[in-house]
Amino acid sequence: MKYIKSIFPLALAIIWTYALHNSWGTLPPLGKLMSPFHGFWVNAEAPESSELTEENLQIPGLEKTVTVVYDEMGVPHVFAENDHDLYVAQGYLTAKDRLWQMEFQTHFAGGRISEIVGEKGMVSDQFQRRMGAVYGAEKSFEGMKEDPKATETLQAYSDGVNAYIESLTERNYPLEYKLLNYAPEKWTPIKSALFLKNMSFVLASGTDDLKMTNILRKYGKAVAEDLFPNYPFVESPIIPVGTPRDFKPVPIPESPTDFIGLGSAMKTPEKDPNIGSNNWAVSGNKTVSGLPMLANDPHLTLSLPSIWYQMQLVAPGVNVYGSTMPGTPNVIVGFNKNVAWGVTNVGSDILDWYQVKFKDASKAEYWHDGKWKKTTMRIEKFNIKGKESFVDTIFFTHHGPVVYLSHEKPFKSNIPVGHALRWIAHEKSQELTTFYKLNRAANYADYAQALTYYSAPAQNFIFASNQGDIALWVNGKFPLKSYTQGKYLLDGTDPKADWTGFIPQSHNPHAKNPVRGFLSSANQSSVDPSYPYYMGWQYAPSERGRRINERLEAMSKITMDSLRGLQNDNFNIRARTLLPLLMAKLKSPTGGVYAQAANELKRWNLQNAADSQGATIFENWVSLLHDAIWSDEFAADENAPMNSPSVDRTIKMMQDEPNAIWWDNVKTKNKKENMEEIISASFKASIDTLVKKHGPIGSEWAWYKHKQTGVRHLIPGMDALSRLNIPTGGGGTIVNATTTKTGPSWRMIVELSKEGRPKAHGVYPGGQSGNPGSAHYDDLIDTWAKGELRSLLYLDKPEDATGRLRKKIILSIKK
Amino acid sequence: MNHSLSFSYQLAIVLVMVVIGAIAGIYLPWYALGILFGLLAYILRIPTGRAFILGLVSGFLLWAISAYWMDGQHPSSLPGRMANLFPLGGSVTGLYVVTGVLGGLTGGLWAWAGAKLRFK
Repeated sequence: MKYIKSIFPLALAIIWTYALHNSWGTLPPLGKLMSPFHGFWVNAEAPESSELTEENLQIPGLEKTVTVVYDEMGVPHVFAENDHDLYVAQGYLTAKDRLWQMEFQTHFAGGRISEIVGEKGMVSDQFQRRMGAVYGAEKSFEGMKEDPKATETLQAYSDGVNAYIESLTERNYPLEYKLLNYAPEKWTPIKSALFLKNMSFVLASGTDDLKMTNILRKYGKAVAEDLFPNYPFVESPIIPVGTPRDFKPVPIPESPTDFIGLGSAMKTPEKDPNIGSNNWAVSGNKTVSGLPMLANDPHLTLSLPSIWYQMQLVAPGVNVYGSTMPGTPNVIVGFNKNVAWGVTNVGSDILDWYQVKFKDASKAEYWHDGKWKKTTMRIEKFNIKGKESFVDTIFFTHHGPVVYLSHEKPFKSNIPVGHALRWIAHEKSQELTTFYKLNRAANYADYAQALTYYSAPAQNFIFASNQGDIALWVNGKFPLKSYTQGKYLLDGTDPKADWTGFIPQSHNPHAKNPVRGFLSSANQSSVDPSYPYYMGWQYAPSERGRRINERLEAMSKITMDSLRGLQNDNFNIRARTLLPLLMAKLKSPTGGVYAQAANELKRWNLQNAADSQGATIFENWVSLLHDAIWSDEFAADENAPMNSPSVDRTIKMMQDEPNAIWWDNVKTKNKKENMEEIISASFKASIDTLVKKHGPIGSEWAWYKHKQTGVRHLIPGMDALSRLNIPTGGGGTIVNATTTKTGPSWRMIVELSKEGRPKAHGVYPGGQSGNPGSAHYDDLIDTWAKGELRSLLYLDKPEDATGRLRKKIILSIKK
Repeated sequence: MNHSLSFSYQLAIVLVMVVIGAIAGIYLPWYALGILFGLLAYILRIPTGRAFILGLVSGFLLWAISAYWMDGQHPSSLPGRMANLFPLGGSVTGLYVVTGVLGGLTGGLWAWAGAKLRFK
């Protein structure tokens, strides 16, 4: 008894210490995390002084000394004596600011989140791997290895990241490792491939084929084609109409036999992200400087640490500035002395589903082209934190992986079960070579040549040079398809439904120095219907593209400031058409708040400004109206998810088909609603929801308060490390495409110069450092929210006396 | 067991614990604080009745003051963010206290354990 008594406090102390040393559910390891010697306190960084400080660091693997200077934004300007050292330094410096993010994103991409968060990460992990993320990364890594320069670059980058990881001890791990209680692992070149492949997941994995087949099965082909047309009624395509064609088209494959398919049933609803982008280039005859200017703002899900990391990379043969993506070498969007380039996403149809007929439960064989063919299998192992590991088998037909078997429940509602996936992201590719060459491009020919290596995700590459050229290539690898092939689910047994080849790269839509003096893209239709190949039936709504083109057409004597104005343009071009139509049909509202709201709309200047109340009323009304028209017919059956027709198609119906059957709400049995009733009822309903949410009409109805833009930390729910309720205007179909969670993730404007340095401005909603304890974590958000830009420092040598340098680091060889 | 330790003796013990805890903090894992406090209680024959409170005070002072000092040396928004995460309504003072309490309880429990092993 005495013995037990004397041991009791020790047992208690051990249990206490054990409890504080480990994480429990979402509770972090409190002892480790809170210790002022080991925990988060160590991650706090004092703001840097305005004096230039110097530091020497030794890192293994360098051939010569590398000089790095940081400016007041925290942007490293790297001066190396050869390519190898340049990319070692890029890897090292990126890891120094963004290690956790790089690793977390590649863990996510590779379906390994459950190693960090346990079983709750499994569905997402399995989805990633079944979609072929790891398979695709391995394939693209094979492609990269065919270019010795790319191989060398990737290896050097990887060595740099590892040099940083090896310099760390547990107490100076980035904060998130301490919160989630794990340690960084060694970086490998394939992780960079995974990161690049993940861009296809982010930008080119959207798929409506299942929903379209469900519509086909319910309403038949005539209705499906009528309500989901293959080209918008109002459009301003990326490649200007009438652009001469410099190629002779290859023959188009024969159409597959009509196929209705089984569709499929599932439960969870899913949201469409507002991911898109803007870019444009204007030629010298429209600018004050007389030389071309270029602007780009890629729209992505805004996050912290920031998606982008600015860098200047200088070595013999290259001096490039721009935004890099942590996890992959080179600058992705940027400029050098002679050229500037930018990207927006292409919404082409590069992902198709094939209904698979297996011979038997073993799934060893499937039916194709009148024969039983063998499937291949890929084994994926999942190491789950706190659980036994799990082994999964993925079956492949010649099309690709069968993402979900017929009896499985998919992770996302738009993924059909029992179908094989054919996706461009599974192709061998060489994107890295494209960026390596773009970083060094000196003229149009270099740019065009660099693009020939690029596969996916397809991008509208905008270009400008100080020789006076502007150009745009809709670029990537596009399957050569018959007209609308793959709009619906395809028959996996029909060889005519297969992809048989690709559009030759030189036939990709492109334009150079058009008469109108500018080129632009905003994810809308790449080409008008006269283009000889089928690329896809559905692109982003045309509004942003139309607004940009209408403004650029009207603008002359263009300056940095006028282009900044266009990037922040809040004009609601949709409202210009739609609001008069709606107001004409709205039964004049009685009752205080309805009449007040209608007056507010009449007074509204059609700007989605941050403090606009009209914007709140309009956007909310349109969204409820769209639901009121379509959700009775097109979202009624939750077991067979469907799309609703586009706003473009709905406006057409409002204008020309006031008696269409779709106006009636089929859920009200004894009543047949007409257009006026639906419009008026949805107005009242939308005002009611606004009153309920924000109280009586007034400043609480301001658009930014309703929209609630936030830049969120990558760990879901980590509000303390996020910036929420940012006062910004804009919207999904506005040039300033800032929504609740998505928006311009990097705004850049470049003014090229013949002799001197290019002048450039840019900003992103975040900061250079990934450390929430650094002043550079989110110091650019306010500038971004105000629609302002920072001047980007382009140096010729590290000694430039600009007064903007804060820190100098000499990286020398560690023996 | 002698319960009437002089105040200055107790103060000396706290000082020794704080200094040893700080050195351990710099070179050893976080839990070394506890183990060393236990050893000190054992070696210095701290009576069981006082061991817990002396360990608690030492651990509290060491962690709370160090946290305060770290924050002063590297002023940043991080403690404020962490004080929202926990959630302490953003109060950094609250965060010093929580930090101190964790260090204090660790030190106190181990010191008590060390003393108890000595005076069975």
